[in-house]
Parts: sequence; structure tokens; C-alpha cells
Amino acid sequence: MSDYIFLFDLDSTITKKEILPTISERIGKLDEMRKLTEATMRGEIPFKTSFLNRVNILSCVDVSEVSEIVANIPLNEEIANFIVENKERCYVVTGNLDVWISKLMDKLGMSNHVYCSKAHVNNDRISQVISVADKELIAKQFVQPMVVIGDGDNDSGIAKHADIAIGFGGVRNIAPSLLRNIDYAFYDDKRCADFLKSLL
Amino acid sequence: MNPSNTTVVICCAGMGTRLGIGTTKALVNICGKPLIIHQLEQLKDYDDIRVVVGFQAQNVIDVVKEYRSDVMFAFNYDYESTGPAASMGRGIIRARKYVVIIDGDLLVNPNDFKLFLDYPEECLPNSTITSDEPVYLKVKNEMAIGFSEKFGDFEWPGLVKIKTDRLKIGNEYVYELLKPLLPLKTISIRTREIDTPDDYENAVKWVEDGYLD
Repeated sequence: MSDYIFLFDLDSTITKKEILPTISERIGKLDEMRKLTEATMRGEIPFKTSFLNRVNILSCVDVSEVSEIVANIPLNEEIANFIVENKERCYVVTGNLDVWISKLMDKLGMSNHVYCSKAHVNNDRISQVISVADKELIAKQFVQPMVVIGDGDNDSGIAKHADIAIGFGGVRNIAPSLLRNIDYAFYDDKRCADFLKSLL
Repeated sequence: MNPSNTTVVICCAGMGTRLGIGTTKALVNICGKPLIIHQLEQLKDYDDIRVVVGFQAQNVIDVVKEYRSDVMFAFNYDYESTGPAASMGRGIIRARKYVVIIDGDLLVNPNDFKLFLDYPEECLPNSTITSDEPVYLKVKNEMAIGFSEKFGDFEWPGLVKIKTDRLKIGNEYVYELLKPLLPLKTISIRTREIDTPDDYENAVKWVEDGYLD
């Protein structure tokens, strides 16, 4: 058995649909959200700025409703199963908000294994974003050998610190900056999960 | 050979400078299809295929994943300073019992390729000499007994099936890593490699004419 721990990006790596665009679709703001998301994935807008803007777009939706949508979003099943079956060695590292993803984390058994952004809630609405997760800083804290799996520009920093960096392009194309920093890339959920199993 | 105990590694990280068309050789058009698609069409029964990419990585990925999405891509971004052995090294992580290593510039007669794949044990195939700058192979009693850069009766086409646990890691040429593993069983296969513009023209004609000699 190896000593690797596995760090997963959430959006489009564990989930089969992009989370924030899915929510924005409900309130008719998909276009606005998609433009911002695309520019962020390409690395044209810093993650922190973009994330705060994107939270703002969704600020008129009840937190409980968002949390419910996220909990029921389709997942890349083989990757999700790998996490559930190996929860002691898996962690989710995401820029997404604690209050939005908590139910999904429960479902994956990751409630105590998640590093994410945090927000205050008042009357079921986001009142303040308290912190925006810096994935690279989070990755630096780990002292065990790491396998990281992600797809976006903001996974590039985390990939640099990994012993094995994997890009998953099964949902959307792997960001060009990340492609330069990974060891392996997969475009098929099962194939990716099979490789992860071989690293256990 | 059983596909379930075999990993296939296609090495196409390099720049193909000698061909001089600014495209990695895996994407060179051979009779209407990129070279790597010709290779993948002959590997339909195999489910652990790894393609090692470097130069024009995104372009190679786009072409391959459109054909089949269950390929694993390994990256060798040091393709300017390292050789095919480095690419092979990236591709063999957690490989199965046997690994088939294929140069990204190689075309093989489909029947011969099947014979090679079906061969039940380790195998280092030989070809008649057709490339401008071959790696020569010395053959005796159906065994490959030596490599040479200078002379020999046969060419090593850049194709091998070997037990994964016997392979060492290196940075230069794959045949350097295979030298200590000789002798190996050899079979004759019909191939074309594409290193130069002349090789390219020959290969296109060869495929058009049915991979015959």
C-alpha cells in the first residue's frame, strides 16, 4: 500500500455538471455566470475576484435552495465512488462555499475532509463571504505524499506541489495552465478512477 | 497475448524536427487520417492505452480523445532535452505485467501487428531496412541478439513487448534500456517509420498499396 493521500477539486472533477452555472440557470443568469466562469478557467480573472463576483450573482437565491441543488448535482460516479470507498485518504479542496456544499460533502463522507471558502448566512441568504480558499496554500500544508486531481486554472498551483498531478477533462477541457503542470490526464471517469485505485 | 495483462504505451512527445513540417509526427496525415489513429485502430482490443505527449500536447489529445476517450495521457514536457526512453518512463507507471512500447512515428502492416500483439511472450520484432537512419538489429536463430547504430541485416522498428518489471528507467533511447535484456525472441514484421520527408512519401505510398513489402 502507498502513503498517498488524494486531493480532489470539486467542480467538474467530482461533479458532472458545473455547480455555479447550474444554480445560475435557475435564476436566468446563466450567460452572465458562464462568461465569468470561462474567463476564470482561462486564468484571465484572478479566482478570488471572480469568485466574489459569482457569489454576488447568486446572492438572491436562498442558501438552503443552493445547498439542495448542489447535493443533487450529477457526479462522475466512478470518481465519487473512489472517494466514498477511500474516504480516510481523500480530501476535497475547493473554492466553493461551505454553506453551499455541506450536504454534498455529507453525501460523499467528506464533511471533515473538505477545505473550502466560508460565508456567513443571515435569513437563509449569504450576508458575508469570510474567506476565499487559496488552493495552493492549502496544498502546501499537507505533509504526506499527494496525488491531486483537478481541471481548472486554480488547480495549477496545487498541481505544482503534488507528487502526482492529474488533470480530469471529462466534463470540460483541462485549463491550458494546468495542462502544463500535470503528469497525467484523463477524459473518462472510469479510466481515471481505475488509475487512482492503482495508486492506493 | 491477453489484453487484460498488457499495457500499451505510444511515445509521441517529440517534435519530429527532421520531417520539417512543424507538426508532431503522431498527427501527420497518412491517407486521410492522423498517424496515431492508424495505430489506435489496430489496438481496439486493448483497454490500457497510454499516449505520452509533449510537443503540441493539446492537439494530440484532441485528436485521440475524439477517437476514444478512455486513453490515459502522460506528459513529457522535457521532450527537447530527453529521448523516447524518458517518455516511455512517464507512461509505464503502474503498468500491467507486459508493456507494449510503440514509437509515435511507426506504421505496421495490420496482420503483422496482430501477430506481434498475439505473440504469447516477450518479443522484439525486426524489419527490413527502410529508414534513412535506422537502429540496426542483429538476429540469429529467431533471437534478437544485439543493437547497432552502424550496421546490421535488420532494422529495429521501435516496437517491443516486454515484462514491465524488467524495464529500467532512462533518459535517452529505448534500445539502450533493452540492450541488457537481450537476447529476446524476434519476429519479422513489415513497417515504415517516418523521420524524413522521403520516409513520409514512401509510407503514404506503402499504405495506399496495402502495406505489402
